[in-house]
Amino acid sequence: MLPIHPVNDTYFGLPGYVFAWAIFIAGLSLFFYIIYKRSLLIRSGEADPRLASLARRLSGLFFYGIIQKRQPRYLWAGVIHIMIFWGFVVLGLRSIDLVTQGLNIPIFYPLMQTAFGSFYDTFKDLFELIVLGACVWAILRRALIRPERYRGSHQLEAYFVLGLISFLMLTDMFYEGSALLMDQSGHVKWLPASELAALILEGSEPRFLACTHAVSYWLHILAFFFFLNFLPLGKHFHIITALPNVFFKKLSRGSIKPARWDVEDIDELESIGVEKIEDFTWKHILDFYTCTECGRCSDNCPANTIGRPLSPKMLTIKLRDHCFDRAPLIRGKHGGAPKEDSQAMVGGIISNDEIWSCTTCGACEEECPVFVEYIDKIIDMRRHLIETSQNPKTFNKVLMHFEKTGNPFGKPAQKRADWIKEMEGTPVRVLREGDEVDVLFFVDSYGSYDPAAQAIASNIAAGFHIAGIDFGILGALEKDSGHQIRRMGEEGLFQLLLEENMETLNEIRFNRIVTTDPHAFNTLKNDYPGSLQVVHYTQFFADLIDNGSLKPLRPLEKGNIYTYHDPCYLGRHNGIYDAPRKLLRAIPDLKLVEMERSRDRSFCCGGGDVMLWHEIDQEEMRMAEKRMQMAKEAGANVIVTACPFCYIHFEDAIKTGGMEDEMRVVDLMGLLVSTLRD
Amino acid sequence: MNIIVCIKRVPLTQEVDLEIDELRKGVKKDALAYVINDWDNYAIEEAVLLQEKFGGTVTAITIGDEDDEEILRRALAMGADKSIRIEAGERELDGFTISKILAKTIRDLDYDLIMTGVQADDDNAAMVGIMLAEELGLSHAAVVTGMEPEGNAATIRVELEGGMDEISKIKLPSLLTIQTGINDPRYVSIMGIRKARKKELVVINVEDLGLSEDDLAQRTMIEEVFLPPETEGAEMIEGDPSSVAGQIIQIMKEKGVSI
Ligand code: SF4
Ligand code: SF4
Repeated sequence: MLPIHPVNDTYFGLPGYVFAWAIFIAGLSLFFYIIYKRSLLIRSGEADPRLASLARRLSGLFFYGIIQKRQPRYLWAGVIHIMIFWGFVVLGLRSIDLVTQGLNIPIFYPLMQTAFGSFYDTFKDLFELIVLGACVWAILRRALIRPERYRGSHQLEAYFVLGLISFLMLTDMFYEGSALLMDQSGHVKWLPASELAALILEGSEPRFLACTHAVSYWLHILAFFFFLNFLPLGKHFHIITALPNVFFKKLSRGSIKPARWDVEDIDELESIGVEKIEDFTWKHILDFYTCTECGRCSDNCPANTIGRPLSPKMLTIKLRDHCFDRAPLIRGKHGGAPKEDSQAMVGGIISNDEIWSCTTCGACEEECPVFVEYIDKIIDMRRHLIETSQNPKTFNKVLMHFEKTGNPFGKPAQKRADWIKEMEGTPVRVLREGDEVDVLFFVDSYGSYDPAAQAIASNIAAGFHIAGIDFGILGALEKDSGHQIRRMGEEGLFQLLLEENMETLNEIRFNRIVTTDPHAFNTLKNDYPGSLQVVHYTQFFADLIDNGSLKPLRPLEKGNIYTYHDPCYLGRHNGIYDAPRKLLRAIPDLKLVEMERSRDRSFCCGGGDVMLWHEIDQEEMRMAEKRMQMAKEAGANVIVTACPFCYIHFEDAIKTGGMEDEMRVVDLMGLLVSTLRD
Repeated sequence: MNIIVCIKRVPLTQEVDLEIDELRKGVKKDALAYVINDWDNYAIEEAVLLQEKFGGTVTAITIGDEDDEEILRRALAMGADKSIRIEAGERELDGFTISKILAKTIRDLDYDLIMTGVQADDDNAAMVGIMLAEELGLSHAAVVTGMEPEGNAATIRVELEGGMDEISKIKLPSLLTIQTGINDPRYVSIMGIRKARKKELVVINVEDLGLSEDDLAQRTMIEEVFLPPETEGAEMIEGDPSSVAGQIIQIMKEKGVSI
């Protein structure tokens, strides 16, 4: 039996246990009811296999869930969060102990009498102070610094929950503190939080202490169960769902999910894409529940930064509200129809412009501490828009060209290899079915037809030639890789291009594929079936420099300061940050500075898909212009990139931004080749 | 309102360096990509918009081989209900025979309106629509840029020379040849086109239509096809963009363009 304990008292003629049990049963039943209701929508979501690679999932859970590796990307907010999270982990045991004491089944009581118990008492007391401090700090940060990224989040809820957590800490402190004063036996443990409370209560009458003791206990238990039931009602659901969400995170990079996971042949589908909330996969619905509204995604989203009508955080908040409307707690699936939709989800709650504003740059997903996904969801909504002919009209011709000629320009396939005619002194072999070659150079549509990108392709061919590489291109046999098509949501057309390219690739023997642009690289590597040996030209040439086959000798013109822009599909989506930098460092006398936003925080140039054929009217400035400003701020006068689309956007931005006299853009390959030749 | 739309599959010739074939009666076609004639695309869209608004059926018709069924399926995916392909085998056809074949096929169908594109992107003859109307004894209007049905008539807008528009009333049934720009044709996805396989596609052999040999005899004979001779007169303007622009404006002014 426990020593003095509030539940041993009698209240309104009934023993305290009765109340403790009543609170326990009511609190837990309500909690399970709410969780059950919330799970209904998840269960009606589409299939999404997320169990493979258990070891990777567990390690992800450890590093990102438990250690919270992504939190300190925003240093102070991250530190506060880690303090509170770890406080929860430590104090969880304490809460269960307190609840079970009240039920008169003190399962932890014996444990708490051991050496571990003494240590734990001190430890949890310390954490109570840490959590309390973190809460106060968090409240002050929100109130005084007011980070921009919280705009549109449920701020009141945040304050309320921070207050509630503090209240839980305080009630436990006073519960223990009053006990310390009432217990005359003298204690030896160091209990910083309880002692602090005792200090405050010092000199109070015994009756007051007993009362404080009892009231603190009951308030603590009530607040605990209230908190538990409050969590699934809003953004603090993440306290429950974040760890599962991290465990089930998407493991593959750069790829787009299939139209449906459980149907292989899309022809069998009645419709593809996402029109209503249940069309999302269960994991994507779990994402909506899990978002913490921290706004880190939007803070890094280039579309949001330049004032387009897309903020990933707001997209999730709107869809979570919509989830809650579709599957309400009262009168859910079984108790009557869900609330009638006054507005369509795609095109209504989420506007078409919002959906087309995304460049699929991946900055949001790179940043999200709980691994909420955006690109797959946005593509799924685009699939619906394309299927129902709600795409921007400017796509019509482009898509027709892709279908009929295998390139967006509508140029004849026969002219796909015309660029090599301009290459004096560098023979380029055009492969035919049955041929054998070491390096298959996948030029893709822009490299084949667009003058600026053709120059990049020519430089790559020149690089191969100088290094004595056996290489060839596909010429008229090559179809567009389909990277853009897939990301525009025209899945059927993507599959068509993929099939045609795979047929060709199967007829040619090669050791590896090298691509001009990171987009083709990404899609061949991550969207195409099987595992093609494919590298981007930066990787290929970095290897040649490493093994000494190539040596940049000719120094560059003096006086320039270079900065490297990480293309999204090379960097974030495929983790290639070092190969291009290695190339730059191999060039004699090249002075390189880094932009503040580089590597995985790179800022998209505007993108290589939708943006090429559709303008979002609502925009304060071009992404590429913003990026050029960043390059300028870093002190560079030359921005180096390794993607034809970045190149094209930057070239444009330099003109429209009137920066012709100050800034220049070069492609890394052009730079490299110029140092290889005499 | 029941609408019939006559459509044609044509080669995509922009950017292609066309080559004349051995007989010098046409161009080499083996490497060409084929698409729906742009004008016809607008005609289908217009028909589908009317059907969405007023009900009825839309039937798409083409003359051609199996490959040409692709544009019928595209029309079905856009919202047409039925489609007919007339197989003409090896027969050489011209505007006259095409309009004969179409007239014979359409005569017994139930329709209030027939639409064709103003012209086809391949030979740009702009004959079939009007000849078909004559053959069927229908009122007709060409180069239509707007259409609003009212009972058994329709108000139509027609584009005239010199940038003028004319609005008139036409009695139904009638035939309209549709000008590009009348609407914004919708995109149909590859999946949508594939799914349209489930809709009706009837194949009729031209020999079964009961047309006489005279009806099927071409009235236009191509003597020779050749590329226009290269002539003098092209002037390359060089310099930086602003001086190029300046020179172009100068030339335009000289040639009497009012700017
Ligand atoms: S992928 Fe990029 S553009 Fe799209 S929502 Fe995320 S951060 Fe914004
Ligand atoms: S999606 Fe992730 S990064 Fe964005 S607000 Fe939610 S939790 Fe934060």
